[in-house]
Amino acid sequence: MRTLNPAVKFVTLLAVTLILAGKHDPILNFAVFLLSMAAILSAQVKPRTLGLLLLPILLAAAGMFFTGYRFHAGGSMPVRAEILNIGSSALWNGLTQASRVLAYAGAGYLFALTTDRVRMICSFQRQFHLPQVFAYGLLAAWGIFPQMTREYRRTRAAFRARGIRVFPISPALLKPLLVKSVRWSEALAIAMESKGFSGQAKRTDFAPIRVQPRDWLFLLLTVGCTAAAAVLL
Amino acid sequence: MKASKWELKDVIMMAILGVVFAAVYLAVFQGGLALSTALTPAGLSAFGFEIIYGVWFMASTLAAYIIRKPGVALITEILAAAVELLMGNSGSLTVVLTGLIQGAGAELAFAIFRYKKWNLLSMSLAGILSALFIFCYELYYLNYISLAPSLLIAQLAVRFISAVVFSGIICKLAGDGLAKTGVVKSYAIGAKADVGKVYDEEDA
Repeated sequence: MRTLNPAVKFVTLLAVTLILAGKHDPILNFAVFLLSMAAILSAQVKPRTLGLLLLPILLAAAGMFFTGYRFHAGGSMPVRAEILNIGSSALWNGLTQASRVLAYAGAGYLFALTTDRVRMICSFQRQFHLPQVFAYGLLAAWGIFPQMTREYRRTRAAFRARGIRVFPISPALLKPLLVKSVRWSEALAIAMESKGFSGQAKRTDFAPIRVQPRDWLFLLLTVGCTAAAAVLL
Repeated sequence: MKASKWELKDVIMMAILGVVFAAVYLAVFQGGLALSTALTPAGLSAFGFEIIYGVWFMASTLAAYIIRKPGVALITEILAAAVELLMGNSGSLTVVLTGLIQGAGAELAFAIFRYKKWNLLSMSLAGILSALFIFCYELYYLNYISLAPSLLIAQLAVRFISAVVFSGIICKLAGDGLAKTGVVKSYAIGAKADVGKVYDEEDA
């Protein structure tokens, strides 16, 4: 999982998600969710990390279950239920809604937890022809993120030192952060441009990221199996 | 749209705004989650997120308000989505797709005004169109079409209000506030702004 080409992995999982979006089958959704979990755990992600990430998803799924259960469109729907392949019962509707949240999140985490960020951007730049200037911009913004959290904590501590209680997302905390961010972005842009990262010049990569046969195999197998299951079920 | 038109300065600015608002969104998301969990037994859990949905559209409207170039709203929203992908978004991979759709909505609003009007009206419209675009997509993607129409209309109404409050009113205030501090002098918004005292790095 970790060594697959990020761009190909992205396309594959996106395709799986979109196939699932067109299909309303809780069994298929649950299967995708479980397979993603298995793949994540086999990529040596700590179960604890995964568990913490899943907690909000499970809550959201429960929420969607009851929304689907209580407010299923049934007869009041403008289109016929059989066309959309939606079960008539409220329970089935609730299960479909809930399992969908799980399946989407499963595919999303599978990508997020097993992909190296910098490699992903390099791969997008090469395989999706993402313009260089955007790749640099993204990497720069990503690199500045830790500094932002530090700044936020510092402002918060400053308020606390003065004995003022502020809400975690109050404007008093966010305004200095926004001003600093603008300053950083300017300083960073000047620094990068002065060192040749302007995005205009062509450059070579130290370790170019290529698409290998096994990436294609992963793409074809995964999308093929999902599509087949979607048709058959 | 040629890539060479974009200066690194603009791109970094857009991406950083994306990071800031992705972080804000994550913070607000926890609140939304608590709220929607409370609403779960009533089957109204989706409303918890509808209320904060407008935060999604903030990055693109604020960036457009500051930089004021065609395409800024669209690209900022995509970059913000890409940043979220980097952070490990819980939604799913389609976050880039949703970014594209929301950005297109916001971009359309500014294009209607021919990129000449940068005020509360155009920014609110940007928020509303983003909300509308993404709602149409969710009808299919989140299978909302299988929910009762009355619930959907209520959801959409709450989302519109949220969009106007966050990406219209709050973004306008934030943009004007930034212009007043003088840090955005080199962007379109700051060129005309009435700058009082320009703060220096040492004062900050």
